[in-house]
Amino acid sequence: MKLLIAEDEVALQESIIKFLKREGFVCEAASNYDEALYKVSLYDYDVVVLDINLISGSGLDVLKALKKEGKKSGVIIISANNSLDDKLEGLDLGADDYITKPFHLTELNARIKAVLRRGKYGGDVCLVHNEITVNTEYRQAYVNDRTMPLTRKEYDLLVYFMVNKNRVLSKEVIAEHLWGDHIDLADNFDFIYVHINNLRKKLTTVAADYIKTVYGIGYRFTDG
Amino acid sequence: MAKRGKKINLLKKTSRKYLISAVVLLLISLVPLYFVTQHFIREETDDSLKSTLYRIEKLLDEGQQVNSIHPIIEISQTRLPGVLALKDTLIHDPLEGEMERFRQLSAYKRTNGNTYRISVRILLVESEDIVLAVLTTFLSIILAIFLAQYYFTRQHAKTIWSPFFENLRRIKAFSLKSEKKIDLIETDVLEFSELNNELRTLTEKVALDYKNLKQFTEDVSHEIQNPLAIMQATIGTIIDDNAVNDQQFELLTELQQNVQRLARLNKKLVLLAKIENQQFASSGTLNMVEVLQQSIEDHQEMGSVSITMETAKPIEIHMDPTLARILTDNLLSNAVKYTPEDGQILVTATNTSFTVSNTGDQPIAAPEKLYNRFYREDNTKKSLGLGLAIVKKICDSHGLKIQYAFKAQYHQFSVYFPQH
Repeated sequence: MKLLIAEDEVALQESIIKFLKREGFVCEAASNYDEALYKVSLYDYDVVVLDINLISGSGLDVLKALKKEGKKSGVIIISANNSLDDKLEGLDLGADDYITKPFHLTELNARIKAVLRRGKYGGDVCLVHNEITVNTEYRQAYVNDRTMPLTRKEYDLLVYFMVNKNRVLSKEVIAEHLWGDHIDLADNFDFIYVHINNLRKKLTTVAADYIKTVYGIGYRFTDG
Repeated sequence: MAKRGKKINLLKKTSRKYLISAVVLLLISLVPLYFVTQHFIREETDDSLKSTLYRIEKLLDEGQQVNSIHPIIEISQTRLPGVLALKDTLIHDPLEGEMERFRQLSAYKRTNGNTYRISVRILLVESEDIVLAVLTTFLSIILAIFLAQYYFTRQHAKTIWSPFFENLRRIKAFSLKSEKKIDLIETDVLEFSELNNELRTLTEKVALDYKNLKQFTEDVSHEIQNPLAIMQATIGTIIDDNAVNDQQFELLTELQQNVQRLARLNKKLVLLAKIENQQFASSGTLNMVEVLQQSIEDHQEMGSVSITMETAKPIEIHMDPTLARILTDNLLSNAVKYTPEDGQILVTATNTSFTVSNTGDQPIAAPEKLYNRFYREDNTKKSLGLGLAIVKKICDSHGLKIQYAFKAQYHQFSVYFPQH
């Protein structure tokens, strides 16, 4: 899978690329508008991560050019501006997702994989980890082909763990992912434990204890 | 300092003052008028009496017989001469059949060896009638003039002040948010023209300040996101390298939390500014009860406090869906934060309002500060202190009314919808 990271903040661009490379993605970088425009017209990417505010131009124009040339790349827009107008305009122009700065790298990773899973980019709608299979189209998890009943949050949690396999996730990161915009209303994130523990119990009964506690306060989904 | 109390319209105030002073002047002028008129009439009466007396004396001198005409002329012979006397007296008037006031002139005349006592009289009622007639005429003429003048002055004032009132209307309609300059009509009145110039300068200055401030806020909130994103990503990379120990991970998580907190703070301040600038268009109607239910569902998954909602009929209101959700979310999370562990949250709704109540020990100490930015009733809570400020702002911008009450160990926040 080949990705283009069009981001003019070099430090951020480097962190993103370093993180995504460990996921096995081939990453290329574009640090300004012209470079981004040049690269998308020249090469084919599976996913383009596009900052709206590029030096010397708007990411939205890159998106327009991309769509005009009929490229099949998935597009995730990054914006420093939490403005609904930008979001709507981006999605209207054919972007697949929208993420606001600052974001967690694990969140970006999950979004990229979600875009890839969508049928039109040729990805597989199913996530597999040993005996666990998650069909993201039907939002259903199976263990050895038998349905595993999960609540809405437990399902989201399991998917997040599976796409961020072997990564350490803190409860803040998890909370942020599960509640998105509404998370800022929570006083503390201790309520996350309840959901994690419930999922953990269910997984342990039918499969294995894949969710490991690390550093005392973080979690990692591993092979065991 | 501005005077408090009932305000009165400028034209009314001027004309009222004018009317009052006119009436007072009129009443005062009546007093001298009365005395002067009376004095002249009295003099006239006395002159008339004297001339009648003179005529009678002349007739007596000529030796003619003069008859009495009761009560206006009386002539009698007398032995003791007296002095000339002029006085008011009460005499029975056979014509009217009652006692009447007369002006009487009495004189004594010696002629042809006889002494006569002559009294001539004039009915005073007549002269008083004249005084009254004069006063009434005066009063009505002056009153008519005053009224006419009052009317004309008022009309005139209306014309003179009309540009002022029109400009006042335009100033009221002026908004800093619309980038249009204030448009004032010109007049030939110097003071109005000066006022217009001052207003133009003032509004232009304020508009510029407002624009700069807005630009500054937007720039800061926008530019702050990049460094935050870099910090967040860097922390993520360090953690991901698996080269940290427990303590370092805890510190990094702490850092991460604070980056998020800063980002949230920024987001909320931007939200407040956006609501203030009315950048949310309320497109279409939504069902408030549905929004409440979704919000409750999310909050239940987040905490241990029990939230119950009484089933209610749909409430259709005109509002931006994002803002509606922010409104309910903020009220609920506020309730969740301040509910003790064994407490509960109740949500009720009527046709015109909804209420979020939560158990609490005592009423809020400073309810007037509740909606202030960064006001926290309890500093031990990890709250940004912006939730209720946002709630208030949303309510204000949509004509909703929010009210706090403490009833039967429950904090209650009620939102009332505008009545159509």
